[in-house]
Amino acid sequence: MKKWTKIILILATIAALIGSIMVYRIFTKPHRDVTSEAGVKMTAQQLFNAFKADEVAANALYLDKAIELSGEVLDQSTNQDGQSVVNFKTDDPFFVINCTFKTHPGELKPSSTITFKGICTGYIPDANVVVNEGVLVGVKP
Amino acid sequence: MKMKKIFGLVVVVLLASSSVNAQKIYGTRNGKISFTAQKDEDVTAVNNEVVSRLSDKGEISFSLLLKGFKFAYAEMQTHFNNDYLQSNQFPRADFKGNITNIKTVDFTKNGNYKVAVKGNLTLHGVTKPITVNGIISVKAGKLTANAQFIIVMKDFNIDAATVTNQVNAEINCVY
Repeated sequence: MKKWTKIILILATIAALIGSIMVYRIFTKPHRDVTSEAGVKMTAQQLFNAFKADEVAANALYLDKAIELSGEVLDQSTNQDGQSVVNFKTDDPFFVINCTFKTHPGELKPSSTITFKGICTGYIPDANVVVNEGVLVGVKP
Repeated sequence: MKMKKIFGLVVVVLLASSSVNAQKIYGTRNGKISFTAQKDEDVTAVNNEVVSRLSDKGEISFSLLLKGFKFAYAEMQTHFNNDYLQSNQFPRADFKGNITNIKTVDFTKNGNYKVAVKGNLTLHGVTKPITVNGIISVKAGKLTANAQFIIVMKDFNIDAATVTNQVNAEINCVY
C-alpha cells in the first residue's frame, strides 16, 4: 500500500471515530439533576421581589441556577403531563412562584411551609416566576 | 350627607358600567406548547409552564420561557439555549392577539369551535405578525385551546440551519 493511501485511511478512521463520539454524546448526555446541586437559598417572596425590581438583573443572578426556595404553599395541582405543580404565595395576590416537580412530592397542603429545590427558568410579568425540574427538600412541621 | 350620596352614586355607576363591560377571562400557568424540527423528529421539546389568558371577548395571549423547553436529549437542550435561541439574552417568547371570529364561539355550550387568531409573536427579540387557525373546545365549562403552526427560523433571525429551517409548533392549553 502506498504511503498516502495509508495516511488517508488513518485520517478517515479518526474522523469517523470523532463523528461517532459526537453523535454518542448527543444521545447519551444525562439531563441535569438538581438533587446533587447546592441551591441558592431564598424565600419565594425574595425571588419575586428580585424579578419585580429588575428583571434583567434578576435573570443574570438566577436564570438557569439551582434555587432552594422556602415559602407558603398557595395550591398544588397536576400539569397536563401528570407532573405535580406547587404555586408559592407572594404578597401580590396575582403573582406566584410556579414550581414543577420532577418527582412527585406527595400531598402538600395549602398554607403549609415547604422547601423546594429546582432550576429557575425566568419571569413572566403579571403572572409568575417559573422554577422547574425540582424536588421537595422539606416540609415545616 | 351630600358627599355620601355622590359617592354612592359613583359606586352604583361604576358597578353598572363594569357589569356592562364584564368579560370572563380564562387563564392557566401550566399550559403546554411543544415543537418538532421538520426534518428530524428526534429534535423535539415540550414546555409545560405556558402562561395563557383567553377572554370571552376574543383577546388571547401566550407567554413562555425558552429555558423551560425540555428536550428528549440534554445535549440538544444546551445547543438550543446557547447556540440557537440565545435564551440568556432573550429568555421569553410572547404572543398577543385576537380571535377574529370570537362571535362563533359559544362559551356556554359544549363543542369544538374553529377559530382564527391574529396577533404578534415576539421570539428571539423579533416581533412578527402571525395568523394561526385553531380549535377552542368547550366541555362542561372547561376550555381547551389547540393549534398547530409552522415557525420559520429566519423570520425570527434564528440561525439553526445545521438542524432545521422550520419547526412544527403545537399548542395544547387547558384553562
